[in-house]
Amino acid sequence: MGRYIIRRLLQAVPLLFIISLVLFVLMQASGDPLATLGGRQPPRAEDRERLARQWGLDKPILVQYLYWLIGNDWTLVDVNGDGTGDQPGTRLGVLRGDFGNSLVTRQPAMQVIAERIPNTLILMLTAEALIIIFSLFIGVYSALHPYSFFDNVLTGFSFITFSMPIFWIALMLMYIFAIRFKAWGLPYLPTVGMYDPVVGRTFAQVASHLVLPAMSIALIDIARYSRYIRSNMLEVINSDYIRTARAKGLRERSILFVHAFKNAALPLVTIVGMDLPLLLAGAVVTERIFAWPGMGRLFLDHLNRADFPVMMGLLMLISVAVVVFQLLTDLVYTWLDPRIRYA
Amino acid sequence: MSLRRLVLLLVVAMLVVTTIGPVAAQGKSVTIAFDQEPDSLNPMYTTMTFAGYVYALFLAGAWNYDADLTPNPVLVSEIPSLENGGISEDGTTITIHLKEGLLWSDGEPLTSEDFVFTYEMFVSEKNSPLTRDPYDKIASVEAPDPLTVVVTFPEPYAPWLGTFRYVLPKHILQPYFETDGTLDNAEWNRAPVVGSGPFVFDSWEVGSFIRGVRNENYVGGAPVLDTIVVRFIPDAESYLAALKNGDADVGTFVAYSDIPELEATGHLNVGVYVSGYNEAWYMNVNPETAHPAMLDVNVRKALAMAFNREQITNDLLLGYTYPAVTYWEGTPYSNPDLAAYPYDPAAAAALLDEAGWVDSDGDGIRDKDGTALSLRFVTNTRQIRMDVQVVVQQAFAELGIEVVLENYPSDIFFNSYADGGPIATGQYDFAEWSSSPNGFPDPDTIRFTCDEIPTADDPMGDNWQGYCNPALDALFAEQAKTTDYDARVAIFHQISQVIYDDVIWVGVWYDADTWILNSRIQNAAINGASPFWNIAQWDVTE
Repeated sequence: MGRYIIRRLLQAVPLLFIISLVLFVLMQASGDPLATLGGRQPPRAEDRERLARQWGLDKPILVQYLYWLIGNDWTLVDVNGDGTGDQPGTRLGVLRGDFGNSLVTRQPAMQVIAERIPNTLILMLTAEALIIIFSLFIGVYSALHPYSFFDNVLTGFSFITFSMPIFWIALMLMYIFAIRFKAWGLPYLPTVGMYDPVVGRTFAQVASHLVLPAMSIALIDIARYSRYIRSNMLEVINSDYIRTARAKGLRERSILFVHAFKNAALPLVTIVGMDLPLLLAGAVVTERIFAWPGMGRLFLDHLNRADFPVMMGLLMLISVAVVVFQLLTDLVYTWLDPRIRYA
Repeated sequence: MSLRRLVLLLVVAMLVVTTIGPVAAQGKSVTIAFDQEPDSLNPMYTTMTFAGYVYALFLAGAWNYDADLTPNPVLVSEIPSLENGGISEDGTTITIHLKEGLLWSDGEPLTSEDFVFTYEMFVSEKNSPLTRDPYDKIASVEAPDPLTVVVTFPEPYAPWLGTFRYVLPKHILQPYFETDGTLDNAEWNRAPVVGSGPFVFDSWEVGSFIRGVRNENYVGGAPVLDTIVVRFIPDAESYLAALKNGDADVGTFVAYSDIPELEATGHLNVGVYVSGYNEAWYMNVNPETAHPAMLDVNVRKALAMAFNREQITNDLLLGYTYPAVTYWEGTPYSNPDLAAYPYDPAAAAALLDEAGWVDSDGDGIRDKDGTALSLRFVTNTRQIRMDVQVVVQQAFAELGIEVVLENYPSDIFFNSYADGGPIATGQYDFAEWSSSPNGFPDPDTIRFTCDEIPTADDPMGDNWQGYCNPALDALFAEQAKTTDYDARVAIFHQISQVIYDDVIWVGVWYDADTWILNSRIQNAAINGASPFWNIAQWDVTE
């Protein structure tokens, strides 16, 4: 098993290397950081030319990639922007743990990203927990009572939410529970943010601000998950070994949750395993609408500014997370289904 | 570890994570909402409009602009002028006298040394500011004594008010610059904990808000408000929702069409304030590319009078704005004696008849010497501009003017002459868009002078109308070296008169910024150049 894990990790190295090169080239093509500085009075052409040199944007793309990968402390860089290299660079490169400085905030890219990770995890883990709890309940209930009234209602409801665009759900929730509830004199939820800056970051504040964005994300995925669970449970419940378990006189609870569910959970593990690393990426639309200070907002803001050090850091982080979670998923299989063996 | 314990641990961890953070002090507080988050709070490292609004809360400068856009002394005892000797006779030297007893928020004295330091940081080769303009136009900045700053330009530089809008704290930043070799990565740039503005930077919750607390040492006396909060709400719909629900007190850049909905809440006041921008028609008078009729000033005047601009501002823009008279509408530089050309189709028809454009062949379109009066009205694909096009096409048809409508996506529409932009290369007779002076609130612009007409040899010009008037050129040249504010205002009154008389530029509407203020805010006097110039006087009723 240990050798298997090591082999999988070693295989990931060339993969990540290729991903980074492709992403880097795509990032360069996505915009010019000097053309998107913002404001009504953009810098003069002469300032933009100087900045391109000071930031090394005038170098060929492969040289920029090389600097990004291994740093530029071995060569002269143009600090004063006069067109000639005059001092050794200070960047160490990704391979030595330096993702460079953000072109927007001028802080280390990894610091910019790390500031957002806890915020995104609060939102995404809450949403994911809601998704799993509700979809388990709905999926299992529907499988045990197929084509019953509640099955039809729950299935219908989940299809309605599944087919609605997230921005519409989010805005409708905000309109109803924040604006209309306030207008009606009912207890209402806040519109935007992670907490009220005037009150401060208390648990009650974060929790109340979390309700609407977490609901928006959850409503859509509950449908997707519960359909998987329903169909898998249905299949398993009608299988021979469940009939055998019943014949042995096991308690219904133990049949369902030990024998049936563990087997029905296998496909669920696959989708959760694929979704978990993407939780790190945040929810672009939801975070934007609810002004949640997470990774999705970071992604949009810095993509607009073509801030490639931060974008590369963010995308590489997610790539690594995908690789790791794929491996974890495969390992969980062996626990769920002892017939699966890796060597 | 059992599953139950693990869940419990996770819940506890989550509680801890979510509750770590600042708990705000109570008191009088105003929350401003912007849809973009600043990149930096050091004026050297940002060009973002919203960043400028935010750092103005934490940093004071020599002067700002009051509600009428008149320069307002902040750190200086008076605005330098020829009369008070602040501007030398030859116009190259500006002498700034600081108020006595100025302090940074940490109690250290704010002196002329800080002005010199600010200049040095902008032009230092070790720093990479986004722009060195206008500091690289200065020859020297000297501090003969702690209250005096002498700024020398190689030649008279009229937009000198653009310098020292903000002053950096030398006692905080100098040590950093010396240790690190550059100011580029200083923590202060995003956490200006020592400043001179009405508020002191307190915290920046990235992605959420920036908060400031009252600066007891502020030059004009400590503000009435205890705290100021700037929230970031990127989505337009949520932005409106937050204003309506009172989650933000101040907002801006809201479309005119959203104003009635905001005013209907009863607690939001909406105002429009000069931004330097005006939506206008640019008349092509380049003999090589324009329709021959466009070369006749009476025809251009007829076009201005044949178009009911108030119908546009009242019906499409709901009466929140009005037809702009001059390029400097709403600023002191606009000639106050001028009035918008009235809507008078009969007079317009008479002008066209007089100019010889009559319908001689009875096809409903005026003509002259065998040329039909058929004009190209070009703009980009913004909806409201396309609405205007349709209205104009109908109105002009009744007068016997055929209008051919053309639209381009913005990136193509505004392309330069070298890139074959339709306006830059003169493929239009009149065109509509919105623009502002280059360094608003400074009035200078390069849209009307002869040397800015782009040609194949020199494709970099901004005078896309092909308008060349030596008398106007002389006035523009004179204002550029007129350092005295009042004298320069007088020259711009002449300039706006010439452009008005020649009907080169016809304002369609005054494209002002909208600002939304909760009615609990008192004493606010917004302007588009320094909106929070009097925020120290703002108060709130509870």
